[in-house]
Amino acid sequence: MGFNLDFALSTIPTIIGAIRATLLATVLSCLGASALGFTFEIIRRGGGAPGLAVRFLIDFIRSTPVLAWLYFLYFVMPFYGIRLGAMTVGIMGLSLYYSGYLAEVFKAGIDAIPKGQQEAARSLSLSRRDTLVFVIAPQMLRNVAAPLGNYLVSILKATPYLAILAVPEMLGRAFDIASETYRYAEPLTVAGILFLALALIVAYGVKRIEQRLLASGRR
Amino acid sequence: MLAQAPHPVSNVQTTPYVRVDGLNKRFGALHVLKDIDMTIRAGARVVICGPSGSGKSTLIRCINGLEPFQKGTIELDGITVGKNARDTAKARRQTGMVFQSFNLFPHLTVLANCTLALRRVLLKPAREAEEIAMQHLTAVRIPEKARAYPAQLSGGQQQRVAIARALCLNPRIMLFDEPTSALDPEMVKEVLEVMIAIARTGVTMVCVTHEMGFAREVANEIVFMDDGRIVEHASCKAFFSAAAHPRARLFLDTIMSH
Repeated sequence: MGFNLDFALSTIPTIIGAIRATLLATVLSCLGASALGFTFEIIRRGGGAPGLAVRFLIDFIRSTPVLAWLYFLYFVMPFYGIRLGAMTVGIMGLSLYYSGYLAEVFKAGIDAIPKGQQEAARSLSLSRRDTLVFVIAPQMLRNVAAPLGNYLVSILKATPYLAILAVPEMLGRAFDIASETYRYAEPLTVAGILFLALALIVAYGVKRIEQRLLASGRR
Repeated sequence: MLAQAPHPVSNVQTTPYVRVDGLNKRFGALHVLKDIDMTIRAGARVVICGPSGSGKSTLIRCINGLEPFQKGTIELDGITVGKNARDTAKARRQTGMVFQSFNLFPHLTVLANCTLALRRVLLKPAREAEEIAMQHLTAVRIPEKARAYPAQLSGGQQQRVAIARALCLNPRIMLFDEPTSALDPEMVKEVLEVMIAIARTGVTMVCVTHEMGFAREVANEIVFMDDGRIVEHASCKAFFSAAAHPRARLFLDTIMSH
């Protein structure tokens, strides 16, 4: 049973049909993980009891498997009356899991900003919030563009985990075809190529954004 | 100890504007400021000098509330600095600070560097903020670079922008922390010229610098620090003609012979 190109081509429409779920999960998880990770890092920086709690939470998230989070959110939460759709739980799980890593990325990005920037903002009487929004965050983004891009590709590649929740994403759909036809090579190859294509597009986009950020006002 | 201001053009008031009392500051085991007492009157132009490591920069940073300190008080226009955030912020609103390393915001244009605080702190509309910023950029003779980014400017140009940025908030006192120390020699002059022009406006100035020519031309008082203490606080004339303290005389001899 060799690789049948015609069969492979015939699976493409079905698998591409699942690209919507893959992209939706990727985009929303990226946004969720970035927002949550940035918030975590700001709270951690603030110190005190909330800072300590978040520091623990970040370490906890980073030392548990993403599958455990997905199983937990999907199968345990309903016992406490919280019943959410598979896609919602999937996006929550990926957001939470990657937020721990992104918090570390943002930390490095903020640490790399010279101390004089904060001091200048303070002596200009900018509020803490304005300093964060107008001085720190833009410079942090410039510092983290490359590692942030890597994690965004990682999140894309982590969406097949959502297959365990029966979210109709690309790899899950490919596996469905395989189970029905007992032909694995073709649908899995097609899914792999589609993931590669998406990852390349994301990586290219990140590269372009990075170049633009660096082009504005740096030697 | 505080001699009469000698300059005839002086508009120095008799009321103290900055009052430092028994200030002590430690970095861990290092005792960098020891029992500093200092009064700066409104309209005074004070140059703080002394060997490196004597605590001059730390003192001026304490006045701007950028450094916490362990003992003593600092008052600016009667407002206590460094005790609680609200008062420190209030005092800062009257203060402009210029740093040795410029500290311009690299991701913002020259104009945006100047308008940021005008818009966010003084809540000026965009148009008005830009007009005010352009006035000050013109005053420091760099209006043509308004749309450039800091990295596209020379060090001297960057420092002049930093001065304009501080002036935008219309401070009553300008603090300069070694403003020319990070500059190539050929750029020192353009920055000093701008500072001399600011001195003529009558704003209170406190300047940490090694530029003794500038001190002689602009200052009406000199504070000489050594090893965390103020060892001499005299009128400019008295300091240059007959510094009382042997450390100050030695310092002057060393610096003037260059």
